[in-house]
Amino acid sequence: MSTAQLYLSTAVFLLVMGLYGVLVRPHLLRKITALNVMSAGLFLIFVAVAYRGPEAPPDPVPHAMVLTGIVISVSATAFGLLLIRRVLEVTGRAELAVEPEERTAANRQSVTGKRPSPRTEQRDARP
Amino acid sequence: MTFPWIFDLLLCALLVGLAARALFSRTLFQGVMFFVVFGLVMALAWARLRAPDIALAEAALGAGITGALLFSAVRALRDRGDEEEC
Repeated sequence: MSTAQLYLSTAVFLLVMGLYGVLVRPHLLRKITALNVMSAGLFLIFVAVAYRGPEAPPDPVPHAMVLTGIVISVSATAFGLLLIRRVLEVTGRAELAVEPEERTAANRQSVTGKRPSPRTEQRDARP
Repeated sequence: MTFPWIFDLLLCALLVGLAARALFSRTLFQGVMFFVVFGLVMALAWARLRAPDIALAEAALGAGITGALLFSAVRALRDRGDEEEC
């Protein structure tokens, strides 16, 4: 197994692990961390494909793409963290609602500052 | 010839282990700390793959700025009463 193949398999591991974290962990900060791990795996795939041995110079185009991707992922992370703070402010917890029937009424009340009308409450109560 | 190979293998195992700890550690603070260390080891991996520019960007942006943002977010979440679990 060559060096590029070793790093390629590691990259696939990281990608799958990050995807699992994004899907499974409920806390939103965990989801953002998992998304960053996932993007690291994707960048590692690009650079491992561009690698052409210890003597030959690597392919510069994937390197430029990965460099741009790192900068963009940092700004996307900052934006996501701001959204997490807003979600915590509105709903009182830094998670996405898992039981929509139970939470929507309370969330709407905290967003609009008034109780939901009986009609919408009735609609929410229906399965 | 054998030494760099073993170094690469150790680096890859360390990357996978640190990523797992970053995602599945008990508290958020621990997870963010492991993520910062993961970013630094990732910079080492870029340097091994002959990408020194990406290594510098990863160490400064991926580990440094992202780590600072995540730490400030953990602090803000704790201050506003988010329970410290998962």
